[in-house]
Amino acid sequence: MTSSSSKHWLIAKLRNFILAFSVISVTTLILFLLRERFSASTVALLYLVPVLICTTFWGFWPGILSAFIAFLAYNFFFLLPYYTFIVHQTQDIIALVIFLGVAVLISQLVGRAKASLAMAVARESETTRLYEFSLGLAGVNDLDEIAGVIAHKTFDTMQPDRLVLRIKPTNLESPITIALPLEDVSAGKPDLVIPLETVRTFLGDLSLWLDRGRLAPSEERVLSTLAAQGALALERAALERAETRARVLEESDRLKSSLLSSVSHEFRTPLATIKASTTSLLSDQIPWESRDRKELLSVVDEETDYLNYLVGNLLDMSRIEAGALKPNRQWNILSEIVEGVITRMHRVLREYRLEVDIPEQLPLVPVDYIQMEQVFTNLLHNSAKYAPAGSTIQVSARRQDGDSLMVMVKNEGPQVAPDHLERIFDKFYRVTEPEKVSGTGLGLSICKGVIEAHGGRIWAKNLPNGFAFIFKLPLTWEGAPPPVVEEERL
Amino acid sequence: MTGPHILVIDDEPQILRALRTILSAHKYRVTIAQTGEEGLALAAAEHPDIIILDLGLPDMDGITVCAHLREWTEIPIIILSVRNQEQDKVKALDKGADDYLVKPFGIEELLARIRVALRHLAKSQGDHETVITSGPIEIDLARHIVTLDGAEVKLTATEFKLLAYLASHTGRVLTHQNILSNVWGPEYLENVEYLRVFMSQLRKKLETDPKQPRYLLSEPGVGYRFVTED
Repeated sequence: MTSSSSKHWLIAKLRNFILAFSVISVTTLILFLLRERFSASTVALLYLVPVLICTTFWGFWPGILSAFIAFLAYNFFFLLPYYTFIVHQTQDIIALVIFLGVAVLISQLVGRAKASLAMAVARESETTRLYEFSLGLAGVNDLDEIAGVIAHKTFDTMQPDRLVLRIKPTNLESPITIALPLEDVSAGKPDLVIPLETVRTFLGDLSLWLDRGRLAPSEERVLSTLAAQGALALERAALERAETRARVLEESDRLKSSLLSSVSHEFRTPLATIKASTTSLLSDQIPWESRDRKELLSVVDEETDYLNYLVGNLLDMSRIEAGALKPNRQWNILSEIVEGVITRMHRVLREYRLEVDIPEQLPLVPVDYIQMEQVFTNLLHNSAKYAPAGSTIQVSARRQDGDSLMVMVKNEGPQVAPDHLERIFDKFYRVTEPEKVSGTGLGLSICKGVIEAHGGRIWAKNLPNGFAFIFKLPLTWEGAPPPVVEEERL
Repeated sequence: MTGPHILVIDDEPQILRALRTILSAHKYRVTIAQTGEEGLALAAAEHPDIIILDLGLPDMDGITVCAHLREWTEIPIIILSVRNQEQDKVKALDKGADDYLVKPFGIEELLARIRVALRHLAKSQGDHETVITSGPIEIDLARHIVTLDGAEVKLTATEFKLLAYLASHTGRVLTHQNILSNVWGPEYLENVEYLRVFMSQLRKKLETDPKQPRYLLSEPGVGYRFVTED
């Protein structure tokens, strides 16, 4: 206990006694002035009023003090002979004793009523605090936030000089330490350490530094309830997080094995073709005609391109998975990107008629050139995969609602059942049987990843005579509209 | 009599095996290094005519090798890289590499780049040309005149400056930043849109099919290149 606080306490107590004394003095003065009007027994009754006041306002002991002073003053000023503490009449003695008895009794009764009222109020506020505490914990699932709620609520409730909450690290979580008040770093041995534990585990502890040295029993009760509830909340959050993590790992495991099987299947096909062609060419048994030799080599060449495309998609997918797909935006000309892709894919697209409908006056678009190339490559690959040879593939783009760009890649391929339309952008999702059409099922999910990283949206739509991929991109970049590069005069 | 001397710095044995066979068949003399250290030593000792440099080496990265080479020699350097290395390509070009090829590449592509580099080498040792010809395009740098199939093409001042800059580095990949700072000025480094728009205008004026350009080529994510027909 610090000296300053005990001094305060003493002064407060002393003040109550002085006040009680003053009230009786004033009452005595008033009654003394009216002594001729009242009988002694009336005075005795009137003296009970200030005693009652003293007990009510300043507590039991000031009440008792006031009763005694009133008893002495009554004797001294109002009982004959005046101005002595001597009492002659027997009935006066009886009155005096009864007065003292009644005064003390009143003090006691009132004091006790007050104390139980105070306790009820304290209990109520205790309950309110605990209620607020559990309310504060209810909506929170994050360990750091829960720790914050525990630390702050305990600090508000207990009003310690300093408080430190430590949550011990686990294999999934890093440790948490919260010290309040924030700027206070002074150490020293804490006055109180409460463990945060449940039946199953020890989670951490709560250290308190108190100016009053120790807690009242009621405060201790509150603190242990806070600690127990806090520990339960922490445990619940930790379990929840562990469970989520397990689910994510399981899901990612499932995806990985799905990827591996899909990829190995996918790589075998071109590899088989390449192997067959090259071993044929290496064999001495057949003198290959130059036309056949060329045909076999073209097959090898095309299949290596396809393998390269698959590897590219795998790389993109791993970047999307790692969250590393940050578009490196620049203001670009959309038709330049599209035409570049078409030129590069001429072999894949040679059996299709290609129509590009991108207006001259389309503004510059804020996109990552390479990533958008990948989007068009994948959409065109997909179109070429499903649409019949000889059909038309159309790429068109329009400005929409002033500040967005709508791009459509349309083919004459088969329609997709409406309930599959959403899912074709999922990883490893293929509408047809894996054996029928080649592909890892990664291409469209990469498109989705890229378009969404650009703040856009992609979807698919059945058309009366075909199928279309449509995506919408914002034409603004960090709020800025497409720049207009001034034409230069000759 | 052997042809030009090529130093290949790459750590993958199969690529080296293939390149050695192919390049030798095309009458180039081939020297091979499997680490950056070895490559730098061989470059200094043997003074090759061209260096083919892989970006992913076991001991140091290709960009560092490029920077070290450029401290003392102007030997043309062709970078070999894999996809998803756009930033590295730009860095290597900024450090003085002349060209780059993405693995896997067609051998015709590599041979064409080697020819360009050799021509560039011969040119830088001789007089600077003032007239550059590529297919139907003729650029007279001194007189500021551009003709297409003999007919004069009107270019604006910036268009000419851009074309002249690309043409005077014929065959080389120039990064966006390089072109912007040399044609527009260092304060325009971030304004790739200028480059896009002016390139598109140049293509409209000079290319037979502006959508499938043959002379003014884009290098996605890296820059542009002006090529002459072989």
